[in-house]
This record gives sequence, C-alpha cells and structure tokens, in this order.
Amino acid sequence: MEDFSEIGAIWRGETRRALRSGRVLVLLILFLLFVGLALTVVGFFNHQLNAKFDQQMAMAGADLSQAREQLAAGKKQFLQTFVTEDPAMLDSLAAIPIVLLVVFKLTLRFLPLFIALMGFDQLAGEVGPKSVRYLVVRVKRSSIILGKLLSQVTLFAILMSICTVMMVMVAKVLNTEFAAADVALWTGKLIISSMVLSLAYLSLTALFSALVKQGGISLVLNVIALFVIWFVALIGEAVRFPGEVAAEGTLAMLKAESAFAYLRYASVWHFGDDLLHPHWGRFLTAALVHVGFGLAFLGLAQLALRRRDL
Amino acid sequence: MSAAIEIKGLSKHFGAKVAVNDVTFNVEEGHCYGLIGPNGAGKTTTFSMMCGFLFPTSGTIRVLGLDPTEPGVLKQKVGVLPQDAILPPMWPVGELLTYYGELSGLPNAESEAKAALERVQLPETWNVQAGALSHGMHKRVSMAQALMGSPPIIFLDEPTAGLDPKIAASVRGVIRDLKGKHTVVVSSHNLQELEELCDATAILDKGKLVSASTMAELTGQMAEFRVQIARGQVPIDELKALTGVKDAKVEANNVLCVSFDSVAVQPEEIITRAVGLLATKNVLFLTVWRGKRLEERVLALT
Repeated sequence: MEDFSEIGAIWRGETRRALRSGRVLVLLILFLLFVGLALTVVGFFNHQLNAKFDQQMAMAGADLSQAREQLAAGKKQFLQTFVTEDPAMLDSLAAIPIVLLVVFKLTLRFLPLFIALMGFDQLAGEVGPKSVRYLVVRVKRSSIILGKLLSQVTLFAILMSICTVMMVMVAKVLNTEFAAADVALWTGKLIISSMVLSLAYLSLTALFSALVKQGGISLVLNVIALFVIWFVALIGEAVRFPGEVAAEGTLAMLKAESAFAYLRYASVWHFGDDLLHPHWGRFLTAALVHVGFGLAFLGLAQLALRRRDL
Repeated sequence: MSAAIEIKGLSKHFGAKVAVNDVTFNVEEGHCYGLIGPNGAGKTTTFSMMCGFLFPTSGTIRVLGLDPTEPGVLKQKVGVLPQDAILPPMWPVGELLTYYGELSGLPNAESEAKAALERVQLPETWNVQAGALSHGMHKRVSMAQALMGSPPIIFLDEPTAGLDPKIAASVRGVIRDLKGKHTVVVSSHNLQELEELCDATAILDKGKLVSASTMAELTGQMAEFRVQIARGQVPIDELKALTGVKDAKVEANNVLCVSFDSVAVQPEEIITRAVGLLATKNVLFLTVWRGKRLEERVLALT
C-alpha cells in the first residue's frame, strides 16, 4: 500500500515538473506541429485528388458509384502492396480515410524516437547532478522508476489523445462518408493502440536512463537500440518463411525464402501493425507482446537501478 | 548509550581505486559525530554508504539496526544533506520541499516544509525556483529538506562549505540545536567547527581509519592543558610538584603544556591550582585551554 502511495506521489510530482519544463513543452508542441503538418500535407493531396476525381467523373458523366467502387479497389490494392497482406486487416483499414491511416502510421513510426527524446534523462538527468539522492532516502528505487514511467505514460496519453482527435477530425472533414460511429470507434481504437505501442518504448527509454549517468549517452544508446529493433524487424520481414506461399500481386512475391524470417518475432516493432487488427485475438497477442517487452525492459531497468551507486 | 550507526570492516572500491579501506567505528545515539580527513580521505564515500547512495564493496553498515542498501528502509529515519547534490532547478522551493515531505510520508508536508524553511531562516524563498538560489541559499534549503519530519538521524555533508561567516554561524546554531535530540553525523573540513560541535569523531586518511574516539579523548582534554604565556619565568619544577601533575614543559611559541593524571585529579582543580601558582610567581598569561587543538591532532595523525 505504501508502495502505491510512493509511486502516486512521484507520478504527481514528475508530471507537474514535466509540464513545467520548457524542453518537454517544446517537444510536445513540436510533435503536435509535426502531426499538424502531416495532416495538412496529406489532407491537401487527399482533398485535391478527391476534388479532381469528382470533377472528372462529372465531366465524363460517368456512373459515380461505380467509379467510387473502382477507386476503393485501387485503394485496397495500394494497401495490399504497401501496408498489409492480411485480408481482414485490409478490409478494416480500407474502411477508414486514407489521410487518417497515413498520418497515424507516420506518427507511430516516429513515436519511439519521440519517446526517447522526451524521457532520455528521466533518471540519468537526476543521477548526474545527484538530485536523485534526495529521493532515494525517502522512497524505494523501484518506486522512482515506476512513478516516473507513469508520468511519461500520462504525458503520452494526453499527447496521443490530442493528436488522434486532430487526425480523426481532419479525416471526417475531408471524407463526409466517414460515419460518426466509425469516427468514435477509430478514435478509441487509435488511442488505445498508440498507448499500448508506447508502453514498450517508454520502458526501453526508462531502461537506458537507468543504466547511465549522462542524459546524452542515454539518448544515444536509446536511439541505437531503436535502430537495432527496427533493423531486426526489417531483416525478418525482408524474407519469406521457408515454404510460405506469396499471394499474387503482393510484395511477398519478390521476397526470398529464409529462416531469417523468424527473426521478426525478436523485435517488438514487428507486432506494431497488429495493434490495429480487427480480430481480437491478433490485437491481444500484439498488445501482450508489447506489454511483455515493456515489462522485460522495465525489469532490467529496476535491476540496473537497484544495484547501482547513485 | 546504544549505537545508532554501526560500521564494520567497511570498504569501497571504484575499479582499482580503494576509496574506503576496512573502516570500523560506531556512532552513539544522540551524539554529534564528526567525519574528518583531508580531501580524498573517503569521508564522502563513507557518508554516502551510510545513506544508502553507494553500495559497500565489503563490510557492513547498520543504521538504527537496518541495512541502508535495502530498499526504502531509511524512510523517515534519516535526513540527509548530500554534498554537491543539486536541487531540481525548475521547482519552486516550497513546492519542492512539500513534494519531498509527501515522499517521506509526512502527514502535514506543507507545514513541515514551511517550518523547515523558517528553521534555516529562508521563509522568503518559498516561491523562488531552486535554480535561482545562491550557493548559500541552496545549501540551507538542502539542509531544510534534511530536517523535515525530525528524523532520528541527520547526515550533513559539508554543511557550511562555501557559506559566508554569518550564515555559517547560523547553520552551526541549527546543528547545535539538534544535539541531544538527534544523532547527527557531520562531515567537514572546518576543524574548529567540528571541535565545537562534535562529541566524537572518526578521522580518515587515504581511505583508512586513523582514529575513532570521543572529542575529549582525541584532543586530550582529560589529560593535559595549555597556557599561552605572555611574560615571566615559568616555575616548571614547582608545577611538576603539584599533586596529579605528570609533566610540565614550555613548548614552541611560549606555550606551557601541563599533563596530568585525570584519575587522581579533576581538570578544573589542577588548572585552577596551576594558574594560581603562575599568578603568584608573577607569570603573565593570555589564555588557557584544555587538551590540544583538534587541528593539531588531525595534522599529527594524517
């Protein structure tokens, strides 16, 4: 019980401190600007394409509904080639506006790096100037890590909620056929999936921050680790499983068969896409993998901080 | 009197460097205990191990019977002014101290914070950001956080280093107030300050313990006294003939040193008789002090 109150006190204190810190506020604003810019660019092209399409259809006097069906088929083909070969996932993603999908995916790609930039000095920044000593005589070291992690989770929950609402609103304005029920569903789904995805990377950042004294070194190691995670997934996904049959018209046809394909399971990055999967089983598996990686990184962070001189 | 802190065979290595080497001493409950030694002697390392910041390479420490490296055991039991630990700069002082009070589990964290700031005479800094404090103010705010909740043991690492004389005197006043009510461990280079404040000391040199004793034993207060002679011929033979006197001699700078048997005679008796004798022999003197100055003892030992 005392542990919870310690963690709660650190969480409240660290969140207050983060919101007061100029650097954190600047980073939050930059991320929002990045999302805003991506929305503007992708939204603009999306709007232009839609307008041009409608104009051409009107001029040609073509059957608009048939033309729209053809456009949807083209979109699905694009998604199958560049995003996913999973039929259920394909149907699900094809139902949402392309601007929402593209900007959300883009946001998720940069999220781990942004998390590293936000939290690299959460512990290292206190060990170097020794201000952590004011904390360790009062609370358990494990409470310090968990309290600070919860504070980062809170900041990201707020940030991702704002970003997602922004994306969905723009998508709704640009695509009038995006139904209100779908808007609500996808808003919740995107927020949940981005938060689950964040857990693993927030814990990774906590780990590197707990390992070293200097914030700068923590950031460099964190970025290297992100690169390794991404690279392992890339190698694993660049080849097909031995004996796997590739579907017609997909990128998989270009891939060679290799046992290296199993390497993808060693990287949390590989499971990120499944967080949007319409089947609960696939979503839960991906979520559990992210939580598992998060717990493993957190456990290592606890171990590192518990046994080190401060 | 029982030991508040027990240190046995304590060592700390940083790679090949041995910072603390097989140190053993106890700090009695209610004592003000000084950690003395030149730079690099291992004072701050020993201090940091007592507070649970550093893990010993070997040996044991017990603080109120607890192992300080165990998670959370020092909560509400110790207050620490760590050397060179920077207060988080973005926090207003009052809010920061209240936060520390909450982490310590104090029921009235805000009022404790206010009282602690009053105690170090800095109530006006309540809304000042910690990063904007001067060195002296920073030190006193750090001291305030150590005093919050009135913990039974208070560790103060260099509490007056870098402070101007007036502020240093007020900090010494705070430490003096703590004596008897708390066990206080003070690390300092200011030997005059430690001599004035401490009941007992440990002297470290190059990581090793060279002395651990009460201040009276260390400075020989119970075994000798000195008189600064101004003018006149000191009657050495007559002084030696006084009951309880073991030896009398004039040292450098015209300082008379008289050693005595503290079992046979009380210090106040022998000092009064000796200076009385000097007065009757028309020997003029300036000051009388018991034992050796701590500084002399430390210089002789390190």
